Amino acid sequence: MMAFAMDVLDPAGNTAIDAKALALRPARLTGATIGILDNSKPNARVLLERVAEGLRERFGAREVRTWRKPTSSSGAAPSVLDEIAATCTVALTASAD
Amino acid sequence: MEGRGIATVVLGTDEFRPLAAIQSRAHGLPDLPLVTVRHPIGGIAESLVADKAGPIVEPVAAALTAAPARAAGADAAGARMQRAPDDLDELQAWVMARGWGDGLPVIPPTPERVARMLAGTRRRPDEVAAVLAPRLGQATVERVAVNAVLAGALPEYLPVVLAALEALADPVFNLQAVQTTTHPCSPLIIVNGPVTARLGMNATGNALGQGTRANAAIGRAVRLALLNLGGARPGREDRATQGHPGKYSYCVAENEAESPWPSLSVERGFATLDSTVTVCGSEGPHNVNDHASSTAEGIVATVASTAANAGHNNIYLGGEPLIALGPEHAATVAAAGWSKDDFKRALWERARVPLSAFAPENIERFSGIHPEGFRDKPLDALAPIARDWRDIMVIVVGGAGKHSAVIPTFGMTRSVTRLIAG
Repeated sequence: MMAFAMDVLDPAGNTAIDAKALALRPARLTGATIGILDNSKPNARVLLERVAEGLRERFGAREVRTWRKPTSSSGAAPSVLDEIAATCTVALTASAD
Repeated sequence: MEGRGIATVVLGTDEFRPLAAIQSRAHGLPDLPLVTVRHPIGGIAESLVADKAGPIVEPVAAALTAAPARAAGADAAGARMQRAPDDLDELQAWVMARGWGDGLPVIPPTPERVARMLAGTRRRPDEVAAVLAPRLGQATVERVAVNAVLAGALPEYLPVVLAALEALADPVFNLQAVQTTTHPCSPLIIVNGPVTARLGMNATGNALGQGTRANAAIGRAVRLALLNLGGARPGREDRATQGHPGKYSYCVAENEAESPWPSLSVERGFATLDSTVTVCGSEGPHNVNDHASSTAEGIVATVASTAANAGHNNIYLGGEPLIALGPEHAATVAAAGWSKDDFKRALWERARVPLSAFAPENIERFSGIHPEGFRDKPLDALAPIARDWRDIMVIVVGGAGKHSAVIPTFGMTRSVTRLIAG
């Protein structure tokens, strides 16, 4: 029988996270422009483009446009995000390998 | 993109789901939809990647059009105080079950021990010394002290641990990537100045090995803070393919007494009486055995050959490979009248890899990342181990013997030096 007789301090504590709500979703993808942000990991672009192609063929999306981050471990330039926001309906990106 | 009002879905592989999830949370988007395929995507034929795309088209479409379910209370803060088993064997199992440990036995962070640890600094317990990626955990002085107790540190080590964590949180260090990459890297903590003697740190024989409490416990305290506050748990957010032994503890003092040159901290503009900590996102050390060279050129040739290979990150990502010269090798180089910069320049000229040593797929990949070095180059073109000779770091470490070490880095990280405050 384990005796819990010692107080210890938690080593993890709080985070500095301020949770935000997600963007509103469109009701359907018909006629949508799909933006792709390629994270530049090997083959990420292949997967992203194949999925976007599937969204065009099976869900009526109209167009696919692609941007690329120079490296996976840095964020995209604000101007790239602005461009995607200005020209696309929804977006796909990739994380890690 | 979500912040700009664009519904977004992240694609990844099942292996990397915990990492993608903590990154979404850290960006304030705990509900961001993630659709995964079986690992891997990279390094396989494009046709196999295409096969993995088909089955996820439908879930991706659903996630782009329907509001996702709220993520379950992700990562709520635990109570500040917890009741733990007072039996040490049971405590160890209890600590590991909570994910707070590195596998080795810990010292229980009772309020009394944490209070004694906090006496090692003048800083307020609730001061936030750093925010640590990927979890964006708030490293208050008190929470750092808790981790320092777990690690077996003495109170006088705490200012070094705090300074190291401040350095790690500097954006140029890129802690997010160092903590979560598949690459085997871990913060190497290099301590300079009078604090090293005061704490009894080892800078001489076996300095990078076991046997000295200050080296061991400072390095371990930083690691446990990166685990518990930074939230990089092995096999989950910490995606290291193999890792390296320095991930338990990787802390060393520079052997300033036996160095023929200004120390690392003096090179960086600090005074000899300043105590500093420098952090690098480092691989494990690779030995340079040279028992025969009696000239600077000879030492450079052997170090260069050990440093120049096709399989480390600095060769294509740049960054700051570190050369830890043993004092006898450093003396041989300095006897020729060479400064530390002379050594760096000569090494940079010599430590090069012909493009013929790289697989064609790697040349293609590196061409996209570093076109000046790899795109449309002949196979006899030479890739240097750093973008500029000034990027090569040199310290003097160790005791008697004819050995040095080459320590490459993750590449997309820069070392950071901080003054150790009281």
